[in-house]
Amino acid sequence: MISPTREESASEEGVRGAAGKESVIVRGVRKVYRRDAEELVVLDGIDLTVFEGEFVALMGPSGSGKTTLLNLIAGIDTPTEGEVVVAGTFLNELSEGSLARWRSRNVGFIFQFYNLIPVLTAVENVELPLLLTTLSKKERRERALTALRLVGLEDRSGHYPRQLSGGQEQRVAIARAIVGDPAVLLADEPTGDLDAKSADEILDLMETLNREFRKTIVMVTHDPRAAHRARVEKHLEKGLLVRG
Amino acid sequence: MKHLPFIWKHIWHNKVRSASTVAAMAVCILLLCILESVNQAIVAGLATAKDSRLITRHNVSLVFTLPISHRERIAALPGVRKVSISNWFGGIYQDRKNFFPNFAVDLPTYLDMYPEYIVRPDERKELLADLKGCIIGPALAEKWGWKVGSVFQLQSFIPSYQKAEPFEFVVKGIYDVDDRKYAGTIRNLMFFHHKYLYEGTGQKIGVATFPIEIENADQAIAVAKSIDALFENSDAQTKTETEAAFRAGFVSLGGNLAFLLRTVGLAVIFTILLVLANTMSMAVRERRTEIGILKTLGFSNARVLGIILSEAVLLGILGGLSGVAAGYGMIAILPSLPEIGDAVRMFPSLGMTPKVAGAGVIVAVLIGLGAGLVPALLSYRARITGLLRQI
Repeated sequence: MISPTREESASEEGVRGAAGKESVIVRGVRKVYRRDAEELVVLDGIDLTVFEGEFVALMGPSGSGKTTLLNLIAGIDTPTEGEVVVAGTFLNELSEGSLARWRSRNVGFIFQFYNLIPVLTAVENVELPLLLTTLSKKERRERALTALRLVGLEDRSGHYPRQLSGGQEQRVAIARAIVGDPAVLLADEPTGDLDAKSADEILDLMETLNREFRKTIVMVTHDPRAAHRARVEKHLEKGLLVRG
Repeated sequence: MKHLPFIWKHIWHNKVRSASTVAAMAVCILLLCILESVNQAIVAGLATAKDSRLITRHNVSLVFTLPISHRERIAALPGVRKVSISNWFGGIYQDRKNFFPNFAVDLPTYLDMYPEYIVRPDERKELLADLKGCIIGPALAEKWGWKVGSVFQLQSFIPSYQKAEPFEFVVKGIYDVDDRKYAGTIRNLMFFHHKYLYEGTGQKIGVATFPIEIENADQAIAVAKSIDALFENSDAQTKTETEAAFRAGFVSLGGNLAFLLRTVGLAVIFTILLVLANTMSMAVRERRTEIGILKTLGFSNARVLGIILSEAVLLGILGGLSGVAAGYGMIAILPSLPEIGDAVRMFPSLGMTPKVAGAGVIVAVLIGLGAGLVPALLSYRARITGLLRQI
């Protein structure tokens, strides 16, 4: 197990508040895509530490490697070089099956296009991650309804995604991300497909989750207004992390 | 099991596609079940054949008859114990759909040679004493409510057996069967005096087959050869074979129905497999993002594979059960259908056994598994980043 350095974030101690333990450690990570003889370096030696309870915004132009970095933190992609430690687990050492199990317990993912399952109702969508637990049907349903209540959509629990607005769909997606009480929430352009009002509501919700429930959040965004709602901003350019 | 509602929701969501897939599968299983039931009916017919019995018929075809005089000459051959007579009468009771197998036989010798039709001595005595007398199977008695003394009429569809008025018969006995001793004995046959038919048609008819009982089953081939050699230079040459070979050949008269059905059945299975595989591939391709979401949420590759295979198998089970149910219904109504009914009635023991029904469902499940395997494996191997392109 590597020990994370804290130098990088030392100057940000003030905005971290009560943050202490490292939640996400990315050390010397390179990600290279190869096609035939051609090599595309997407991430080129990234070092990043996110502490527990932090709300970090990853910004940068298209193709800068933001989403790739998020995928590495989520354990849905593997680095070509370097190490990734999330919630105390060294992801490089995990097999595919172990990674899947780890994701179900430690990470909540929020997508730009919500990605709800269209044939399932809101509550069934939220309940989906709980199918991987040993909870009873009743317990699963209760927890899903609690998560929906938290995002203010308990009254829409029986609605299908097509019957919800974009903002509501994203709130259901957030409920799905938090229903398993993961340590880290990863959001990829969560407001990218929403109007300003809905985007604000989603950002309010994420702030609440960070502030009141001490969820560590890493959010990829193009939107400076969204980034300003985070406590820490990081900028990526051409696969390199530059100071925000 | 907790994924079942999730799987069911997907099937229910695409009602038209799921229904057409299930229907296609059901047709496939229906055909298979009928085919196998017909095969079993054929095998049941062969099972009652005895090694010590030979059948002699016209060398060219069953359509041609042999002179009655052949009987005495055959009986005189060494190794032959008894010779009887049997003609397929083709009698219709009231309507073609009521058809049941009926034979004009030399009753005294025939009943001696076929102990599987158990007749009470008093009924046998009455039967032999009355030219219009007949003996019927228990299934016929039950179906038509016939008892000893009941009178009914049959009109043959074979032109040479037809006369102005139908033949009238009196039930003189109801034969019994012993399934332990003679498994597969058919229960809906009718036998009457060949002499009655012979006299009734102006003594113009011949003999369709001579059932022959021989002294030693091991000598069957030699005796058969000696019978055929006896009539080698006559106008009515014979073909003699064991009863099992005769029945097998008789069954194959219609162009080997069983083989044809089996070939068609296999072709249908293969076609349905391709159709279902295509349907499953389309369904999974449409759900690439969803599979990516599941994997992101922590569903393992194996679990995703299981979900997709379960969906295919569930479609298979639905198709299989529908096909088996349709098969039961079809077998029940087939005998009453015009044209087809005549062919089907050749197999009086035709019916779908639980074993055939179970096999039908198993085949459906296997088709489902086969169809779902490729898309399931592709989903198993697909990487999340490839499935979720927008990430």
